[in-house]
Amino acid sequence: MSSDVTLIIVIATALAFDFTNGFHDTANVVATSISTRALSPRLAVGLAAILNFAGAFISLEVAATVAKGIVDADAITPTIVFAGLIGAIAWNLITWYFGLPSSSSHALIGGVVGSMIAAVGTSAVDGDSLLAKVAVPALVAPVVAFSVAGIAILVAYRIVGRLRPGPVNRGFRLGQVVSGGMLALAHGTNDAQKTMGIITLALIAHGNIAADDFHVPTWVVVSSASAIALGTYSGGWRIIRTMGSRIIKMDTAQGFSAQGAGAAVILASSHFGYPLSTTHVISGGVMGAGAARRLSAVKWGVAGNMIVAWILTIPMAGAIGGLAYGLTRIFGTGALGPVVVSILCLGLIAAVFGRRLQRGSVITAGAGS
Amino acid sequence: MLATIVDWKTLGEVALYSLLAGVGVTMAFSFAIVGATRMVDMRRQRRGVEAGAYAALLIIGLVVAGAAVVFGVIIMTTK
Repeated sequence: MSSDVTLIIVIATALAFDFTNGFHDTANVVATSISTRALSPRLAVGLAAILNFAGAFISLEVAATVAKGIVDADAITPTIVFAGLIGAIAWNLITWYFGLPSSSSHALIGGVVGSMIAAVGTSAVDGDSLLAKVAVPALVAPVVAFSVAGIAILVAYRIVGRLRPGPVNRGFRLGQVVSGGMLALAHGTNDAQKTMGIITLALIAHGNIAADDFHVPTWVVVSSASAIALGTYSGGWRIIRTMGSRIIKMDTAQGFSAQGAGAAVILASSHFGYPLSTTHVISGGVMGAGAARRLSAVKWGVAGNMIVAWILTIPMAGAIGGLAYGLTRIFGTGALGPVVVSILCLGLIAAVFGRRLQRGSVITAGAGS
Repeated sequence: MLATIVDWKTLGEVALYSLLAGVGVTMAFSFAIVGATRMVDMRRQRRGVEAGAYAALLIIGLVVAGAAVVFGVIIMTTK
């Protein structure tokens, strides 16, 4: 009975993380399209939500790669996964509150690493893997996207520079609909699968699925796809504003170059099996498209805040994950700990959202339309 | 230590192919825009040959950009 309750809480928490993942990362896909008026805000998030949902069904190759090789898989328990998810959700909400785009995948890895260290110790974490699979790609992703978008926008200006702005803007706006769609599909395939993998692992640990018969049940695919699509549709407007207009004021060619470069880097990294953070890639692309035109066009203060948030993501999500694990264990090894921590978290989230609603949202779906 | 644990070869390939694809698609789409805009201008001036040439540029640009999109979807479905 107790393990059933724990399983239900882990599944609900994983879906909640999936929702925040969509909510938080909407900006990666739609910010440039909204900022250049290629799409209205509501249409942009609606399209992104549909493509995120569809993307989750495109490939089920896996799923269970989150934290694979980074933490000792044999030592993972549902409570460790639960605490890791709490760390990731908390960091996603904190960065959303400050309007900072940060990687949901890194938050999840950080959360699981932190709860694992709290539960088992540092011996259960492979530091070399963490460096090779997470830290180095985190540095490389924005640099590559920055360079590709920078060169691409210079080429684009060179080619269309002598044309009338009207047709050029209409053309690039049309292109942005496609490049934004590609990003949304890629996001759906990458990120919804992390939740599917986590829920499937919990089902294996609980004995619902045999360990030697790894498969993702259809209800897990549908619920994960729905959660990320709902989160995307809710729209993380604060981060959309940062990504779309606070880093640089974009024109349509810059928006297309940033999205095109982002899609190229993400798909190239997928092709070579070298996963990079969507958030880092798109942010790098946006900065590159701005800096290539004029270095001072980029608001480096905002960019600096984002980079600080990226550096802090794994340690902070890890610290919160570790804390959540410690708090859970105060109430023993049964389901009481996850129940109490869940209630505590829901209360905190309600308080934060209540404060935000009292202040009013930063921008709304109607802005820019 | 970093040199041994990081797969620099794959990282280099990611950077190179990202550059080729990102810049290539932007270039192809930019040429498509040039083709579309100039084709309309030439038609207005009743310069059929030039309009045809720019229409060809538009089509080639769209085909290259479209092929990149299809290739991207194939990568997503087969990874």
